[in-house]
Amino acid sequence: MENLSKSYGKTRALDGVSLTISPSEFLVVMGPSGCGKTTLLLTVLGVLMADEGHVYVDGKDIDALRVRERNIGYAPQDFGLFPHLSTYDNVAFGLRARGFARSEVDARVEARLSLVGLQGLDQRKPSELSGGQRQRVTLARALAIDPCLLLLDEPLSSLDEATKAEVRGNLKETIRRTGVTTVCVMHDPEDALELGDRIAVMFSGQIIQLATPAELVENPRGEIVRRLFHHLLKS
Amino acid sequence: MRVETKQRRDAPAREGRDRFNLGLKLMAGAFIFFMLISLFYLYIAVGSQWSLVVDALFDSRILGALWVSVSAAFIVGAIAIVAAIPTAYVLTYSEFRGKSVMETLLIEFPQTFPPATVGLVYLLMLGAGSPINIAYTYPAVLIAKLYVSAPFALSFTLRRFREIHRTGLDVIAESLGGKTRHVLLWVLVPLSTIDLLGGFSLTWARAMGEVAATLIFAGAIPWRTETFPAVILLTSQSAPQVALAASLLAAALSIAALMLFKLIAGRRR
Repeated sequence: MENLSKSYGKTRALDGVSLTISPSEFLVVMGPSGCGKTTLLLTVLGVLMADEGHVYVDGKDIDALRVRERNIGYAPQDFGLFPHLSTYDNVAFGLRARGFARSEVDARVEARLSLVGLQGLDQRKPSELSGGQRQRVTLARALAIDPCLLLLDEPLSSLDEATKAEVRGNLKETIRRTGVTTVCVMHDPEDALELGDRIAVMFSGQIIQLATPAELVENPRGEIVRRLFHHLLKS
Repeated sequence: MRVETKQRRDAPAREGRDRFNLGLKLMAGAFIFFMLISLFYLYIAVGSQWSLVVDALFDSRILGALWVSVSAAFIVGAIAIVAAIPTAYVLTYSEFRGKSVMETLLIEFPQTFPPATVGLVYLLMLGAGSPINIAYTYPAVLIAKLYVSAPFALSFTLRRFREIHRTGLDVIAESLGGKTRHVLLWVLVPLSTIDLLGGFSLTWARAMGEVAATLIFAGAIPWRTETFPAVILLTSQSAPQVALAASLLAAALSIAALMLFKLIAGRRR
């Protein structure tokens, strides 16, 4: 991302955000509500158009590409599962839309459901699944299309505390196994430190610190970062 | 566990003193009476003439009107739904100048525009003297009813498409590689079945009841263009038992259609 800016009227949601994400990296973007993290995610996805700046994937400018042409997996906060479709059909959606043969769809759906540990639940509708299971279907669906980048919007915020701990471990493990580059928006500092290879802390549309979890805890830059991580800091 | 608060125990006493509340109930009661009395009075009005009315039900003119009204309402409902889906899609996803005026012209205006004027406009546009003359034909019945009743299908479909758009499910479908046809046919339409059914049902009912536009543009030729409301209008003085028979049948069909829709909608939910 190079110098991304986006305004809503007089409010500057993104203010010159530049970031380079390494292949297979799990980058957490965190910050208080309204700091611009979801706007950043939706701009990369292509739903919002940046006023200035560019998004590159593998060195290629993707600004002119539509959402469907970007090959970016997206898992929204509320899971966004198609309520009328079974687990199988949710995961198969992208593969069918891309015209994969039936046997290929079967094989890929089975592989993704097995990756997230949901074998045997393929005929259940989202309403028949628990919060944790829905989260895993969302992840399987986004991963089924072999995305070049995975965007997760608050993947743990819709879960209760007990489910959250379990899903957090599974999420990191699943994504590590696929090796997909991930940008994950979160607001909980503990989750961010646990999951992120690096953490970008946003405030007022800007990235105010980009560091590994260890660096962030050792050396928080400025009062805002210190306040966000206050109960987790060493000193 | 049963909890009875003091407020609840006191409620009847307090309501008794609440004249505003009583006034509201009286006004609501008067309106409910006004709305329901016409429906029940239809059956009271038949009175001792039941045998005449039953005979009239098998009158050739009534059977012809039954055929024209019901078949036209089904065709109009189907055309309205088929037209509403792409139109609602365009109005949901396209931004253009004058969009809200366009919506008003497509949804509210046809419902408030005098139907007699609609009939006259079509008669001038597609009647004798125009290159395409379809006045006083069955297609004229369809066109007049479609203009007046299709807005119901469009407003139901548009409202639902916008609701789905706000959930972001369409964006998710697109992020997975879904093209317009996938978003429409795999997400929007299946998630709108109840609303499409609701739109069809009200379009059907409105088409059944439409009289002025149809009468002016299509006339009232038995078995070709004469509908139930036209029979009622034209026979209410000369043959009241025929008008009553047609009214009873029309009311029964409307109630049956609404009950059927509610039943299907209830099962799907």
